[in-house]
Amino acid sequence: MDPILTTNVLNVVYEVSTLAVVVLGLAVVFGLLGVMNLAHGEFVMIGAYCAFFVQAHDLPFLAAVPLALLVCGFLGLVVERVLVRPLYARPFDTLLATWGLGMLLREAVEAVYGRGFRSVATPLTGSVEVLGADYPAYRLLLTLVSVALVAGLVWWFVRSATGRRIRAVVNNPELAASVGIPVTALARNTFVFGCGLAALSGVMLAPLLPVNPTLGLDFILKSFFVLVVGGLGSLVGLISGSGVIGGVESVVSAVSDRTWGYTTVLVIAILFLWLRPNGLFPRT
Amino acid sequence: MPNSTGQVSRRRFIAGALGSGAAVVAPSVLTGARAAEELKIATFYALSGPGSLFGPTQTAVTRLAVDEINAGGGIGGRKVTVVPSDGGAPPAEAAKAAIRLMLRDKVDCVVGSHDSAVREAIVAALKGRIPYVYTPLYEGGECNPNVYVTADTPQQQVQPSITWLAKTLGTKSYYLIGNDYVWPRKTNEQAKKYIGAAGGNVVGEEYVPLGAPNKFEDAVTRIKARNPDLVVITLVGGDNINFNRTFAGFGLDKSIKRISYLLEEQTLLGIGDKSSSGLYSAMSYFENEKGEANAKFKAGYRKAAGAKAPQLGMIGVDTYGGVYCAKALIEKAGGTDAARLMAAADNLKYRTPTGTAVMTNRHVVKDMYLAECKGTSFDIVQTFKAVAHGQTCA
Amino acid sequence: MASFLAHSAALVAALAVLPHLVGEFWAYTLALYFLYAIAALGVGLCWGQAGLLPLGQAMFFGLAAYLSGLSLIHFRDSWLLLLLLPGAALAPGLLAWGIGLLVFRGRTLTGPFFAMITLALTLLAFQIANSWNDVTGGFNGLKNIPGLPGLGDFIDLYYVSAAALAACVLGIAWLRRAPAGILWRAVAQNEQRVRFCGFAVQNAKAAVFGISGALAGIGGALYAPQQSLVTPQLCGFILSADLVIWAAVGGRSTLYGPVAGAVLIGILTADLRDEISYWEVILAAIFIVVVLYFRQGLMGFVEPWFERLWRRPAGRGRDGPDRPVAPSEAGFALDDIRVRMGSVSILEGLDLAVDRPGIYCLIGPNGAGKTSCFNAMTGEMPVRGGQIRIFGRDRAGATADSLSRIGVGRKFQAPSLFPEFTVAENFNIGLWGGRARLPDLLRMRSHSWSSAILREAQTRFPFLADEDRRAGDLSHGQRQILELVMVLIAEPRLILLDEPSAGLSQAETREVIEAIRWVGGRLDACTVIVEHDMTFVRELADRVFVLHQGRLLASGTVAEIQADERVRAVYVGASA
Repeated sequence: MDPILTTNVLNVVYEVSTLAVVVLGLAVVFGLLGVMNLAHGEFVMIGAYCAFFVQAHDLPFLAAVPLALLVCGFLGLVVERVLVRPLYARPFDTLLATWGLGMLLREAVEAVYGRGFRSVATPLTGSVEVLGADYPAYRLLLTLVSVALVAGLVWWFVRSATGRRIRAVVNNPELAASVGIPVTALARNTFVFGCGLAALSGVMLAPLLPVNPTLGLDFILKSFFVLVVGGLGSLVGLISGSGVIGGVESVVSAVSDRTWGYTTVLVIAILFLWLRPNGLFPRT
Repeated sequence: MPNSTGQVSRRRFIAGALGSGAAVVAPSVLTGARAAEELKIATFYALSGPGSLFGPTQTAVTRLAVDEINAGGGIGGRKVTVVPSDGGAPPAEAAKAAIRLMLRDKVDCVVGSHDSAVREAIVAALKGRIPYVYTPLYEGGECNPNVYVTADTPQQQVQPSITWLAKTLGTKSYYLIGNDYVWPRKTNEQAKKYIGAAGGNVVGEEYVPLGAPNKFEDAVTRIKARNPDLVVITLVGGDNINFNRTFAGFGLDKSIKRISYLLEEQTLLGIGDKSSSGLYSAMSYFENEKGEANAKFKAGYRKAAGAKAPQLGMIGVDTYGGVYCAKALIEKAGGTDAARLMAAADNLKYRTPTGTAVMTNRHVVKDMYLAECKGTSFDIVQTFKAVAHGQTCA
Repeated sequence: MASFLAHSAALVAALAVLPHLVGEFWAYTLALYFLYAIAALGVGLCWGQAGLLPLGQAMFFGLAAYLSGLSLIHFRDSWLLLLLLPGAALAPGLLAWGIGLLVFRGRTLTGPFFAMITLALTLLAFQIANSWNDVTGGFNGLKNIPGLPGLGDFIDLYYVSAAALAACVLGIAWLRRAPAGILWRAVAQNEQRVRFCGFAVQNAKAAVFGISGALAGIGGALYAPQQSLVTPQLCGFILSADLVIWAAVGGRSTLYGPVAGAVLIGILTADLRDEISYWEVILAAIFIVVVLYFRQGLMGFVEPWFERLWRRPAGRGRDGPDRPVAPSEAGFALDDIRVRMGSVSILEGLDLAVDRPGIYCLIGPNGAGKTSCFNAMTGEMPVRGGQIRIFGRDRAGATADSLSRIGVGRKFQAPSLFPEFTVAENFNIGLWGGRARLPDLLRMRSHSWSSAILREAQTRFPFLADEDRRAGDLSHGQRQILELVMVLIAEPRLILLDEPSAGLSQAETREVIEAIRWVGGRLDACTVIVEHDMTFVRELADRVFVLHQGRLLASGTVAEIQADERVRAVYVGASA
């Protein structure tokens, strides 16, 4: 295979799989709670800053993972209690409130770290030869970890008892509550879990991004498009949505340029929102 | 100055690095009373917004210049005070501030280091009524009355550096990548001219939008496929960092040289030492410049700004020359009358961190440096003396 | 009217005096925020009134700014400018209207989807503005735009902005009080009821979105000559978000809220962000608190007092126009109707026909398809097979609003009305349905329309004469009766009533029975009632239809039905 073509293919796989991981937390929270957390991108951003923080203090890169989970988990706990729980019955206001939250987190991080770009060193340097093409090792690792994460979550969701309980709650919250499933705790844990996933993806992506306070904004919009295209609240939807959005963007970008890639994604998102708001795989 | 980043975002507050910030808050009754003796310089620096990483340096360097000038008796005997304003604000906000400074605070002069959109807005607001010194690097072409540009122009950045690289490194094929707006396009116009003159050829040219979340895997893959000798980068801020890291991540830094036309110390820190090999920059200032004037300047700066002094770099240090340019202008013209200032600007000599510069056509003939990145610092490999600015303002 | 004139005079006077109080610099600053305020007014109208959150208003602001900037650059000295500048302001309105017609057509698009479409559109607009170098000047934008001809200093610019703002505020004040405003608020409360009162909701939504686009357009068209610079950020996400924040914090459903938000927050931000650390954080927190606890925003504390001062005296005058002439044929015919929901079959070949005025009852055990039968007839459920004829014509695919306009009225099982509105406003929506033409929706006079049926109903149900009560404050029984009367004052010829006596006291049931009998006779209408209460059925029904498992099981007089063995077999539990 032509090494350039191989590189391009790997780029597409990388784009799609990392996008899926970023969207994962958002999809879990939306699918299970019906809450569109527009501050999701800011949790990703905070995760990335955790990676920066760890490196700035000469700690190993992997130390960022527990730190980010702790910080974002705690934030998620507070946010669920203060912001999300009172608004379960007002999904529209949740949208606004989490959007305000995103703004708040963005500005708060900016007040602490400034607007400048922080760079996080790649923990794994060098490249690996894949089918005749040299590909950066960290990107390759990230792709594999992303695929594993998504697959693992799907497997867990289908097989585990908690997964079954969550599905019961989704299908019928009143009934679930009446048979003794602790709906409130489950909702809280789900939200915290979603925030944790965002933080994790932030840590993972940090070495490949200029870390700055507005980093989350880019992700939340694209993540939202992924959910719209794939279908809100289904895992198949998540994967297909990431495939369509990430795939189209990187293929169009490779053939033409990034402007067209991004424009195409926007047009696809608008068409879906308008003509097929339930996406490719709507939850039945 | 090109916009320092693609990110569009709300501007924000920067901690009160400005001692003279009080001038804005103080009731105009108090400040107005002393207006007769004082000479007020309004500054537009990036206190907020994407460029705000330069704000602290700009402010500190200006402070240094003003303190030096006041210690030496001020400008034409008048003590200088600084009225800071935010050049990182959206153009409409900046225009509003310029009008406030002119009408309410009655400033005598404006010094600005910010992007071209803000410059256009300030020029439109001031309408030439008070002198305006514009200091960073920019695309050229600013010829409005009573506007004085000390900025590096594309001619100054590109011509000597491309010619030298082609000759010394023997680069033949070039790939141009930049953000999609006027500064990169103007700079690349020059680049193509001198690439052609040096017998090289352009194998690819692409522009990514400014203000969009850009990724560079595909661009780097394209560059890998075309395999040029030199990549000419006119990306700014976060895009510049992201591109160079991706470039090195894919291992292209081992075989392909790069030159970036908006790369100073802060951005280089962002790119990091793992991604900077084979990367060049061409500007009128590097902290590592070895001249005597710069050593004196740096010593004064350390002394004034203390141990935690903000990082020196071209964007920031430019304001030092800007303030001295204003001083020279006003003293030579014997006041702030627009017509006299315009006349005084011709052949005006003023002090810069690295020596003395000469103004012609309200632009500046200056020394330029070509530096190679070594880790996260610059190593000057060539100095070009008195490079022409290529601007023809009457 | 008098109060409106007083309001106008006060506003104009205040805006005229202001620059002399605050001086040249603040006049200049206010001029800019007034333009943003005009766009924020549009957000307030769209979101606060009709409940549609537009997250992409900057797209219209920016479009107008580019159009007006290009016009000024290329036609500076031409008389064409007189057409081009208003055109620049209106074009975004038309665009918004067109987008509205497209996205609202044929289905209920839920709020968040609409918001996200507008957001995605504004991102697209930014992309275009940022990349289309030849026309928009790309990232650096349009530069050196000349000012409006004949205007010089900052005070001139202020008066232009202030005049535009005053005109827009007064225009919106009028719209909010006019029937159109009532209808928008009605859409936000209960879209279904508005449709069943005969209004094409998608047109109302497209109209309000169009107007909000035009308001953003007015702001944008004046921005270009005022700032002489138009950059892609004007189409961007940040300005769109700011407009929403301003409207929310100021008070999205109040008249002056968006203006107060834009001017106050705008000026505070411009001044404080340099002085108070964390100002943006504070602003974000304020926004969250407003969303959580103070949905009425800042002006929500103030404006109700003024509203009370300017309240229109209630009262009804002349009768509204007559409804269009009654259809020549009475009744309806359902032929082999099939309806499925997912995998469940709900109606399986239902045949049902009524061909002369009278009162018909539809009975059957739960799940027999009674309500679904109404839903199929009124276009609320997709019909997979069969034919629906109403008033002698095929009505397959007809929408609820079009059916209402030709004389089909429907009352829902749970009272469906506008709880935030007064009784008077509820009646008015019923009265306007099918009667009001577009100009009527803009006239204050339409508020005092009356009708013979309304007067008679108020005599029958004296509590309805107190029209200033909030509908939501009425008892359940009273709300049932109010909804019934809303349906009846539209003078339908086919009246579909879903359990009109549910939750009523015996006395109220009595009155409802009499009212139905009275109005059926008076309007010469076919009344079809879904009912469980057999007393009710016995009293009223000329004829009874029994539905079972999505089919017609039997029909006949009450006595015949009660004698029917098949009905006895399936219809357990009724007091037969």
